[in-house]
Amino acid sequence: MTTQAQGAFAERAIGDGGLEAVLAARRAGRDLTAFQSLVLGADILALGALADGIRAEEVGEVVRITVRDAEAVDARAADVVPMPDASPDARGLLYLRAVAAARILGPKAAPVVVDWTVTGMELAQLALSFGASELAGPIVSKRGLPIAKDDTKRVKGQGMVSAALLKQQELVELIRRSGREPVATEGATESATDLAALADVNVVKESTT
Amino acid sequence: MTSFEDVATKVKRGERLDADDALALFMEPDLLAVGALANAERERRHGDRTFFNRNMRVEVTNVCMASCLFCSFAKLEEGKPGAHTMTLAEAWSELERRMDDPPGEIHIVNGLHPGLPFAYYEDLLRGYKRIKPDIHLKCFTGVEIHFFAEHYKMTYEEVLTKLRAAGLDGLPGGGAEIFHPEVRKRISDDKATGEQWLEVHRVAHGMGIRSNATMLYGHIETFEHRVDHLMKLRALQDETRGFQAFIPLAFHPDGNGMKNLPAPTAIDDLRNIAVARLVLDNFEHIKAYWVSMTPKIAQVALRFGADDIDGTIVHETIYHSAGSSSPQELREEDLIRLIREAGRVPVERDTLYNVVREHPRSVMPEAAIKVRDRKAARHLEVLS
Repeated sequence: MTTQAQGAFAERAIGDGGLEAVLAARRAGRDLTAFQSLVLGADILALGALADGIRAEEVGEVVRITVRDAEAVDARAADVVPMPDASPDARGLLYLRAVAAARILGPKAAPVVVDWTVTGMELAQLALSFGASELAGPIVSKRGLPIAKDDTKRVKGQGMVSAALLKQQELVELIRRSGREPVATEGATESATDLAALADVNVVKESTT
Repeated sequence: MTSFEDVATKVKRGERLDADDALALFMEPDLLAVGALANAERERRHGDRTFFNRNMRVEVTNVCMASCLFCSFAKLEEGKPGAHTMTLAEAWSELERRMDDPPGEIHIVNGLHPGLPFAYYEDLLRGYKRIKPDIHLKCFTGVEIHFFAEHYKMTYEEVLTKLRAAGLDGLPGGGAEIFHPEVRKRISDDKATGEQWLEVHRVAHGMGIRSNATMLYGHIETFEHRVDHLMKLRALQDETRGFQAFIPLAFHPDGNGMKNLPAPTAIDDLRNIAVARLVLDNFEHIKAYWVSMTPKIAQVALRFGADDIDGTIVHETIYHSAGSSSPQELREEDLIRLIREAGRVPVERDTLYNVVREHPRSVMPEAAIKVRDRKAARHLEVLS
């Protein structure tokens, strides 16, 4: 029932978790509302395996990086996703469950977008293994302060490089280390081409929603 | 080459994993599969019980003769900017200030200060015991004990005997870094070798002093070096049974001699927890140290093989100087919530893993997620 990319574990986990029916219903395009409580109560790693399988099948290995400000995230937020009942502060597992549920119960091939300023870089990376397909958010420092466009940092062998670009390069590295392929979203950031040159990633056009 | 399925079969049969198996676990691309295997082993040993303690940290000095590349306090001399050495009164006041709600344990790790008399450390411990006689003093890494032995011209046993007479109860697990000389020579050449670190713990265990063990990963070491490190710890534990917990520590690159290296990511953090749980079959506890991993990832680690999440820890400076984004302190209720939300049962322990208090299981299961919460939905979106 799983995709080719996944091994015996995923198949077993999905079977043990009783999640095969969800996958079958999803592939058949049936209404998934009835599966909500099953998904929300399933073992988190089994759920991750299912969400990751669906992600690989419907969206592929590409992870989009989209730089935009926080308001833009707000404006585009949809309310079809089951979400943690409070701020995701110190809530790693709940957040991953929400991401997986969004992938499993949400529309087919939907971008599941994680705002790295809310989750932190660490959890954002893990979310990629639980169904997420896009990382988005404003470019800020570790302490949450905005990084100015003309901020630069000295990098060995490269001279002065834009601090905002370096931050995006960090995202590229996180994505690669999780075994996926990063791409920069054109239009969402004026620096997409610069990032492409710096970190050797492809640029894609922003999807219309 | 050993396959993941071979390893999984061995684990299910209860067979000991060898170095090839450990390597296969590090190389397996499916992180969730490794996690699930480790989680099953964790649940077999501990069920849902998840340990934490109420502790505090003191660093009486960050002045250090060693020049470790990964440390933001390397080669820090007295009088240089940022260098500090507490007077005994200052060090004791850290505990005195907290006596209305005192911790059960003090964890002390210092730089290798060349100018302090040995009596300073003995008096330090005696003072804490005077303030709170039942406080557990988990102090000085194997590297510090080795330094004391060389610097004050004593054997490990003499150092430990004197410190125990002054109040020492146990040793923390720090300073292990990576044992393999190929790595250790390059990152920390002028302190205890891997063999010496292990020997300090061997002597301590022989005297009935319990300790922990760590591994600093994510810098220049290979998976083979990590496996070598785990195997050496497991061999010593076979011999002494003196280690309580293994704590993998992530390298943080800010402000130190390896700042050009990228930091290890959450995927690596979880994999180390999981592999350690499966390979270190004679270690009772695997700890997700939240200061190094961030509280969120430490919580996730409770589903990847970890059964301990350390303590409330006040005033941590080592990781924070190296750029850790974790908070300075988690309150007890934060830790309890973190554990409960992972679907686990919080158990407050003392340093020796005696149960202080077992908290009831949460009435809210982990899956208690409110659907269609608009306020929360701004953090994650699905676009159609």
